[in-house]
Amino acid sequence: MKLKQILAPLRSASPRMRILLSVAIGALLLFASGHVDELRSYQGAQVAIYAIAISSIVLLTGFSGQISLGHGALMAIGGYAAVLAQIHWHLPYPLTFLVGGAAGAGAGYLLGIAAARLRGPYLAGTTLALAVGLPSLANQFHILGGEQGLSFDIGTAPTWIGNDFSQYRWFFWVAVVLALAVYWLLRNLLSTRYGRRWRALRSNPTAAALAGINVARAKVLAFTLSSCVAGLAGSLFAMLLGLVAPLAFTLTLSFTLVTGAVLAGVSNLGGSIVGAVVLVSIPELSNAISSHFGGSEKVTSNLPGVITSVLLIATVLLAPNGPKFPTRRHQ
Amino acid sequence: MLVQRRTEGRRLGVFATAAVAATALIASALPAHAETGVTSSTIKLGITVPMTGAAAPGYNKIPAAMTAYFNYVNANGGVNGRKVQLIVKDDAYSPAQTLSVTNDLILKDKVFAVVGTLGTANNEATTRLINSHGVPRLFVNTGYSGFADMKKYPTTFPLFPSYATEAKVMGKYIADNYAGHKVALIYQDDDFGADALKGFATAGTTFAAKIPYSALSQADPSVVGKWITSIVGAGADTVVMFGVTSATGALAGGLYKAGLIGKVQMILGSVGSDGTTLKGLLGPLAPALAGSVAASFLPSPSDATDEYVNLFKEVNTKYNAGAAFDNNVLVGMNTAMLTVEALRAAGQSPTRASLIKAISAKGSTWASAAFSPILYSAKSHVGYTGYWFGKLGLDGNAVSVDGPGKYTLYTTDSGSAPVVKTAAVRPAMPAKGLPNN
Repeated sequence: MKLKQILAPLRSASPRMRILLSVAIGALLLFASGHVDELRSYQGAQVAIYAIAISSIVLLTGFSGQISLGHGALMAIGGYAAVLAQIHWHLPYPLTFLVGGAAGAGAGYLLGIAAARLRGPYLAGTTLALAVGLPSLANQFHILGGEQGLSFDIGTAPTWIGNDFSQYRWFFWVAVVLALAVYWLLRNLLSTRYGRRWRALRSNPTAAALAGINVARAKVLAFTLSSCVAGLAGSLFAMLLGLVAPLAFTLTLSFTLVTGAVLAGVSNLGGSIVGAVVLVSIPELSNAISSHFGGSEKVTSNLPGVITSVLLIATVLLAPNGPKFPTRRHQ
Repeated sequence: MLVQRRTEGRRLGVFATAAVAATALIASALPAHAETGVTSSTIKLGITVPMTGAAAPGYNKIPAAMTAYFNYVNANGGVNGRKVQLIVKDDAYSPAQTLSVTNDLILKDKVFAVVGTLGTANNEATTRLINSHGVPRLFVNTGYSGFADMKKYPTTFPLFPSYATEAKVMGKYIADNYAGHKVALIYQDDDFGADALKGFATAGTTFAAKIPYSALSQADPSVVGKWITSIVGAGADTVVMFGVTSATGALAGGLYKAGLIGKVQMILGSVGSDGTTLKGLLGPLAPALAGSVAASFLPSPSDATDEYVNLFKEVNTKYNAGAAFDNNVLVGMNTAMLTVEALRAAGQSPTRASLIKAISAKGSTWASAAFSPILYSAKSHVGYTGYWFGKLGLDGNAVSVDGPGKYTLYTTDSGSAPVVKTAAVRPAMPAKGLPNN
């Protein structure tokens, strides 16, 4: 209760406050990165990237009521676009991320046009097909590098930041800064009329249409924006892996993102960070459990899947709207 | 931390002296070999393999086979008194997961080296990490020839011959034994197949029909139907399958249903000719494979006259209870044996640098089960380079075309070198299969 009171002003934070808050959180995280080992930096970068990807699902499903099981494929589009922009246009890496986001948006726009005509399971099926089929395209076109993919290197941290900067710490910085920027943009966007329109059409598309909202257009816009964010996450994912390859963007990735969104509480933007933290810590947790109990290889290999499933079931049964946060707005 | 303390201490002479003294004390208290992953009694190694997911069947038997061989060596004195431990990580064949678990292996478990890591993109994803920490990456499990590039991958040693090598060798075999025949080629329409096409082009093999299939489409009956139509349409009496085992299974099934067994000769690449897996896939149709020609570099797991196979079988029975002895177990044990030889050669106090140096200097002389020389040297990280050809029997296992126990070896490189035919000579197995190099 007390925490709730302390955080109460944040609930109605003005855009300017939010900017200050984002910068403060960012500074804190970046400072903290100097005091953890490489493994934690890597995991931090992973959390930031997952948080961006999950927020794209939250935007789409939680706010515009559309379901996508194919966001892994949109990440692939963003990732490949960023890498190709570096290889063929020799763009500096910050611009390659923009290209990744733009490519995601373009693909999302086309998909969104189809999506606006589809509902529920049909949309899920269509996007699922995309996730299954798209990565294998890489084997059909020589420019996409085939099974072993294309490598992607954003280089090390600039020297003015510091000399003793590990590669993972640098990735963490890049990912955190972009994650906060995305979070800030989305937070603001959702409190504009666009956000209100999406919420209206999620709750009841017929009522929204009667209220004068162009449902199809609002849906396409949501899909485009969500795909743009997914494309950006994809290019950051490529940064972290140092490559794009069809195997990196599997169906499992798409499902993982949806899992993260469900754990986050699908209509809860802030929850996407919690979802990301949970996703990244599941392998760690399962390692700890299996080493404590000395399980066999079979148990160890399948434990992460079991933990994920249990968490999913528990979330759906006990907290269908995700964990409750004091800062969460009541809708 | 000590270094830091020492720098600060320089300002204060007393501290400097104290710190240096402390360092010396600690250094003398520690065993001399303070290399990551090595203690006075253990050497810690890591491996990433798909243990779950679609790619797991077969490959997920490799780590247990390796562990079994290491335990056998450990029970017989270990490597210079140290016991070898293998930490197994599942990557589900996803490069993202490979990187995550390799981070764990290198930064958390602090392994000395990684061994037998599987998959091309998977190994590519961890290259930056491997290179920046100078971690030896031994005997990677992929046929991608690029990993032999010493500039890009200074600590990486591929073991298996490349797909291009394999296609060149098959091209030579076809030219020698099937001249005048109409030959069709079925290949996987990705890098794997592209490398093969390159190799066949270098060998100058001409095909009556080239039939690409996209990965995983071989499960579709209509795809197999198209293969058969193309083979019949081209009038081919010989078909080369350069694909995965399930594609070989599909082809054999298709030929059988079309009544073409005995009329069309199958020639199989090493990736798609694992007898045990094929028998499982084909069930009652398995005899359809009898008489097919298959390229291999390891001996057949069913060859009861092969000393390596017999020893590995014994180790498998004793240390890997319940695992059927097949090609995957053979690959795992063979990799483990080479690993033990490498660790022994790295010296009494092995370091990552001494390990890499030892492989470059002596790797080409080590005993291994394959009928192929190993080309490791200061100038090359290429491993095996050769294949022998066998005919599959009714039991699904290959017997050399020259008769049991006699092997003609075809060697070449991934580039333009000619294919050379020699009688296979391989180092004799060390007594009891325990390396004594």
